[in-house]
Amino acid sequence: MPWRSLPGRIAEQAELRPQAPALLWHADEVSYADLHRMAGAAAVRLADLGLPSAEPVAVVAKKSPQAIAVVLACLMLRQPVLLPSAELGAETLSALLERCGARRLPDPAELTSGEGGFTVREDGDPDDVALLLTTSGSTGLPKVVPLTGGAVERFGDWAAGYFGIGPESTVLNYAPLNFDLCLLDIWTTLSRGGCVNLVDQDLAANPAHLLAQFQARPVQVVQGVPMLYQLLAQAAEADEELRLDSVEHALLTGDAVSARGFEPLPDLLPKAVFHNVYGCTETNDSFIHTIDPIDPMPYGTVPIGRPIDGVDALVLDEDGAELTGPGRGELVVSTPFQTAGYLDAELDRGVFSERAGGRRYYRTGDLVRRHEDGVLTLEGRRDFVVKVRGVRINTAEVEAALRSHPAVTEAAVLAEPDELAGMRLHAVVQRAEGVKLNSLIIRQHAAGLLPRVAIPSTFELVDTPLPRTSTGKLDRKAVQRRTRQAQADHRTDTTASGG
Amino acid sequence: MARTDDIKRYLIEQFLLDVTVDELEDDFDLLANGVVDSLGLLTLVGWLENTYKLDIDALDILPENFRSVASIDAFLTQADAVASGAK
Repeated sequence: MPWRSLPGRIAEQAELRPQAPALLWHADEVSYADLHRMAGAAAVRLADLGLPSAEPVAVVAKKSPQAIAVVLACLMLRQPVLLPSAELGAETLSALLERCGARRLPDPAELTSGEGGFTVREDGDPDDVALLLTTSGSTGLPKVVPLTGGAVERFGDWAAGYFGIGPESTVLNYAPLNFDLCLLDIWTTLSRGGCVNLVDQDLAANPAHLLAQFQARPVQVVQGVPMLYQLLAQAAEADEELRLDSVEHALLTGDAVSARGFEPLPDLLPKAVFHNVYGCTETNDSFIHTIDPIDPMPYGTVPIGRPIDGVDALVLDEDGAELTGPGRGELVVSTPFQTAGYLDAELDRGVFSERAGGRRYYRTGDLVRRHEDGVLTLEGRRDFVVKVRGVRINTAEVEAALRSHPAVTEAAVLAEPDELAGMRLHAVVQRAEGVKLNSLIIRQHAAGLLPRVAIPSTFELVDTPLPRTSTGKLDRKAVQRRTRQAQADHRTDTTASGG
Repeated sequence: MARTDDIKRYLIEQFLLDVTVDELEDDFDLLANGVVDSLGLLTLVGWLENTYKLDIDALDILPENFRSVASIDAFLTQADAVASGAK
């Protein structure tokens, strides 16, 4: 079968089924004809701006039909699009754009306001870069992950087939537009003529908005981090009759769901098959596990399961040798949807490597256990990466950002379990001698450098040096013990004085 | 003004801020600086409803209305006007 690009497929839908709904935004439907017109209008404007160009352009915008149309317009022009987080700190954003040579596009509302008239003529080369996504690094700058049109197409083939996404489907999109998850819920759905039911990022923690979207248009496929499901379960506590019985496939991704978190879901989504999906921006989805509602945690946790069709996965022990049977080690994967490597090829070293057979593999940094039946469970990380609301955050990067403030001598960032967010970050910051520093000052500094989700939830400012190991390294475990002790003491004090 | 001080006292206590009421500026950006996240926002709105006897439509909880102490105060003033206009 000849390859079809994403904009080519969407243009085809606009031609064949112009009135079919492409997007639902609050209560408003955007038809394929409308979406195509907006994208066409943006493409005309972008051509005036001198696009396409060899360098990527950046769409820095919250999710909206207009923002989706602008991404589509760029793809129509075969212009690579960088999608940074819309919540990235201003200083880091400009450093990132400079590093990529990317021009920031004007506001999507402005770009899409004119008349249409541009359409896709050729599908281009499947090996050309279409999208550039970003992921957390330890150096302070996000790592840029280019994806080709071909990788996006192969992912869409798998996802549409596996979850039955077609012209009759409505798929809920919970993640912000810059997330890799949108390859499934936005781009696969649009390329197959389905309708994407968009959750407004500003209202993403608001159960009333989530329910309103389910009511406005029943959804067959839901993909989201465990927090989405916790919010839906909260809404159901207020209304015991609530059933989301249109849902056929519920994908949990980004983080491990807890036993308590999963418990209310089979009743709330009575017709859904639950899938635990594992992947990362570099490779996209690589493992999937169908959750058994009777026994969701066969190994004490929800497994990530087995490799998706076409994915090859290895488990390497500490010496880098491949485990053939059960055991524990680092997960290394190769997927048909993966990036060829980071935009900055320097970062590939030690992360991407070719193995026997010439296939390129990615070291995930995730420690896994392979069980007797071949199923995998996650056990931890090789580095400082934690998940907050399903977003990978390297706590070493957060520490570096805090430490870069002149009044900070040392900083340790700890991840504490949190029922809704998965993990929350707590920073312990040692003030330089004789300076005035409070948590608001350091928050402002961090906000210029980090995406908002990476700004610690709580700060603890101390004037004494943080504990170090015998080799002089920051001893985060000792910091954590000290913090917990201090919190316990504080509770005792409060209880004692509060009587 | 008393009401902004009350809001500040609440924020300091709820979000564990190590500052005094005077140190928390009226226009400090609570959202961009990560003091109030989307979940914290719902907690904050719950407190405002209880404290100021308001009934805020869940779908009106737009982050912009709660970006700073000043904007929260302006939101309350407006909500008051709407409530007394309705009577």
